[in-house]
Amino acid sequence: MDLYSLLIGNKYLLEIIYTLFIGLICAVVVLKTDRFFRLSLHQGIRYFRNAFLFFGLAFISRYIFGLSSDLSITYSCMFGILFEYLIVMSGFFLFYSLIWRNFESANSEYVSSLFNSRILVFHLIALFISLLDFLFGVYYFMFLSQIITFLFASVIACLNYKKSGGKRKFLKFYFMAMLLAFSAWILNFLAALFFDWNPLLLINIGIINVTFFLLFLFGVLKITRK
Amino acid sequence: MTTKKRERLEVIRDILNKVKESKQIKPTRLLYASNLSPQMFKEYINELINKKFLKLEVDENEKKNFTLTKKGSDFLQEYRVIESFVENFGL
Repeated sequence: MDLYSLLIGNKYLLEIIYTLFIGLICAVVVLKTDRFFRLSLHQGIRYFRNAFLFFGLAFISRYIFGLSSDLSITYSCMFGILFEYLIVMSGFFLFYSLIWRNFESANSEYVSSLFNSRILVFHLIALFISLLDFLFGVYYFMFLSQIITFLFASVIACLNYKKSGGKRKFLKFYFMAMLLAFSAWILNFLAALFFDWNPLLLINIGIINVTFFLLFLFGVLKITRK
Repeated sequence: MTTKKRERLEVIRDILNKVKESKQIKPTRLLYASNLSPQMFKEYINELINKKFLKLEVDENEKKNFTLTKKGSDFLQEYRVIESFVENFGL
């Protein structure tokens, strides 16, 4: 029995480990960055923290959604919409953490970074996307929104890296992480559209996702240990 | 020649550094050193006192002085880490 067959054979166990692992990474990133935010009140750190908070919540709701055979159809639908909403919002938060300076003053303070007027637009778009997918019974709107989001995020991350002239080492990994997320969403889209959710492809997407989160964990731990 | 407007974090660093250098400093001297308007200075100082980064001490002659707290000193050390985090993550 090869490794992939073993993994496919233990799909549910794998799902639990995968969710817990990513949930744990998100928790570490949120806790570390929340401390930084409370000390500095830096809006960029705040949006970055929110991204990982939503990633973590999305993966937890995804796990519950994965148990949908044990849930009623109403709960199953509810978790489906919730998962999409949370994952789309996490992508938006991560993207916004890169561009917030263009829209806000560095000295402006919001009472809430989760529900201010600018973020409200993202909430509405995320809700609209998840409801569209629910109504049409597809995931394409979520995939497309995230492909576009991470395409732009990759371009910005690349520009940031070039602008730093290689002085900021993690910017290279950040750019790599954005490319990984971008490719993972494209593969997800292809898996749904052409490959009927091929388990082998899904495992590879899972590996890309884990690498994405590990890169951020590496960056956060490396810098906070200085 | 125009100079880049200091960000919030940089203003806080500059104020705390000034207090650290002087050990204790009078409000008026800190206001001049901070290069802020009186209104902005008041806002920053209130925040730093609320966060327990600074302490306002009044001596027997009723003279006021700012001193740096342990928390403020810890923040100055962490400032470099936070600055590095912001730059490395493109935030």
